[in-house]
Amino acid sequence: MNTRRPVAAALAVAGYVVMLVPILFVVVTAFTAGSTLRFPPEGLSTRWFEEALGYEPFLTALVSSLQLAALATALALLIGVPVAVAIHRGRIPGKGLVEGLFLSPLIVPELVVGLALYQQLMIGFGLDSLTALTLGHTALMIPYAVRVTGASLALADPHVEEAARGLGASPLRTFATVTLPLLRPGIFSAALLSFVTSFNNVPLSLLLQTREFRTLPVTMLDYVQQSYDPMVAAMATLILAGTVVLAVLAERTVGFAKIFGGINR
Amino acid sequence: MTSAAEFVGVSQKFGDFTAVDDLSLTIAEGRLTTLLGPSGCGKTTSLRMLAGYSRPTAGTIRIAGRDCTRVPPERRDLGMVFQSYALFPHMTVADNVGYGLKLRRVAKEERRRRVMETLELVGLAHLAGNRPKKLSGGQQQRVALARAIAIRPKLLLLDEPLSNLDARLRVQMRAEIRRIQAETGLTVVLVTHDQDEALEMSDDMVLMRAGRVMQQGPPREVFPAPANRFVAEFLGYENFLADAEGRTLTVRPENLRVAAGAADADAPAGPGGLLLRGTVAHIAYRGADLLVTVDATDDTGAAVRLLCDVRGGAAEGLSPGGEVTVDAREGALVRLPD
Ligand SMILES: Nc1ncnc2c1ncn2[C@@H]1O[C@H](COP(=O)(O)OP(=O)(O)O)[C@@H](O)[C@H]1O
Ligand SMILES: [Mg+2]
Repeated sequence: MNTRRPVAAALAVAGYVVMLVPILFVVVTAFTAGSTLRFPPEGLSTRWFEEALGYEPFLTALVSSLQLAALATALALLIGVPVAVAIHRGRIPGKGLVEGLFLSPLIVPELVVGLALYQQLMIGFGLDSLTALTLGHTALMIPYAVRVTGASLALADPHVEEAARGLGASPLRTFATVTLPLLRPGIFSAALLSFVTSFNNVPLSLLLQTREFRTLPVTMLDYVQQSYDPMVAAMATLILAGTVVLAVLAERTVGFAKIFGGINR
Repeated sequence: MTSAAEFVGVSQKFGDFTAVDDLSLTIAEGRLTTLLGPSGCGKTTSLRMLAGYSRPTAGTIRIAGRDCTRVPPERRDLGMVFQSYALFPHMTVADNVGYGLKLRRVAKEERRRRVMETLELVGLAHLAGNRPKKLSGGQQQRVALARAIAIRPKLLLLDEPLSNLDARLRVQMRAEIRRIQAETGLTVVLVTHDQDEALEMSDDMVLMRAGRVMQQGPPREVFPAPANRFVAEFLGYENFLADAEGRTLTVRPENLRVAAGAADADAPAGPGGLLLRGTVAHIAYRGADLLVTVDATDDTGAAVRLLCDVRGGAAEGLSPGGEVTVDAREGALVRLPD
């Protein structure tokens, strides 16, 4: 931290406190031996973790959420990566329009998207909840996929592909040996971001879930409304642990600077 | 002289704008040809059409006698060095240089040998294992050069290869590129907006303006005999005046001599063929020389402003407002074709 700028340093510390303290409360509460969600905890035990892992609705919802996040991420990348390439490398007419179209969900409130999908897809077409949610989440993730993968291309020299062509590479070969490697950290970060965002999403899931298909955050929300026991804190702590593991893996394999910079230089 | 490449009536339009206008040009085998002109005159566009990155809207491009107008870049066998170098950031220097060889299915050992050989040619063998971003601008440029040369291209195309380097390195690299060309025997097309660079490096130079060729030929033929006012101005002929018959003459500042005091009205012109009387408007100190601005009247009676490059003791007695006589060194006065 920069000690020569006391105000900035103080603000940074305040920021960390505001972000981390509530998380700390949740984690500490999860290890209580008592039976209410309260701070400070009464005694120390892992009983609520055992309860959470044995609680059928949470487990079913966890599987649903993972499934949904994986599907939505895969679809968002499948659409987003080619769009990013087209925007940054293609010679397409109406580039600005395409860009606007694919980035617009970023500014449309999720509840609006959710409501529209609810009316159109589930009521109108009778689609099941997983399909509707996958479509909804995909729509939400595409802008991230386009943005983040696009960033790595936008920062690269626009002539590298031409250089490869000049040296004898066909367009396909050029894509495989030059464009794709340039995109790789961008794709990785887009995947990570999409997966985590989808996994944590509440507004869309709230509108598009059914009794048969519920996501974990919504299930946990329901649970808190009915009961004050610390099981939900234990579940939240487990999710946090999972996210941390994912982040560490990402850091180990690619590195944060590359992932979130989306840069390969 | 056989031709390595030819532009025949080539034009390139971007919408309504004509970037290259009916360009006809022959690139001679084994020589270094420069495309010289101010920014935006269509040099890069011409080079890109030759390399196959953009297709002419009219005309034919021939490489080694074959019509290549519609051949994609990967089948032209040319080595291009981009102004920004465009190195592959995810590959080592050696892999950058070996990229084209790999595509040509050169076996691994042979490839390694040729990569190192090429890196030695540009003096970078010790950096083979590095990533491009670790290298200085000058080193990156050499890698780009090595990458283009490694495939033994039919032509080596260089787009403003020196303009991103600092001044000292830029001058060194002129000789360096000539050395590499001599050692490889490659035909080189070099784009530049720097007339000194073109004069020093070219076997042939092509002066362009607004997508058209203004003059072409070896520097020793073009420099002393600019074909028109544009070429003259671009090559540093600062002074334009008319002779008694109203024809345009031009002369370089360093070829004018200034003496204090007005000559007699009927004094004959010296061997330089010029004798004008005027007054000093301004004197600019430039270290090694002085740039003296003289307001004079030419032989048709029109007012002319002359820039005279005066060295050493020759400046004695000159001061702003003073009367002077200006004459030209022998053979320095150039008459522009009508
Ligand atoms: N892809 C393009 N679209 C539109 N105009 C272009 C394009 N490429 C070049 N131009 C224009 O053509 C002219 C010549 O450009 P260029 O060949 O790059 O000039 P230079 O001689 O500086 O290399 C410039 O006015 C430039 O703006
Ligand atoms: Mg240019």
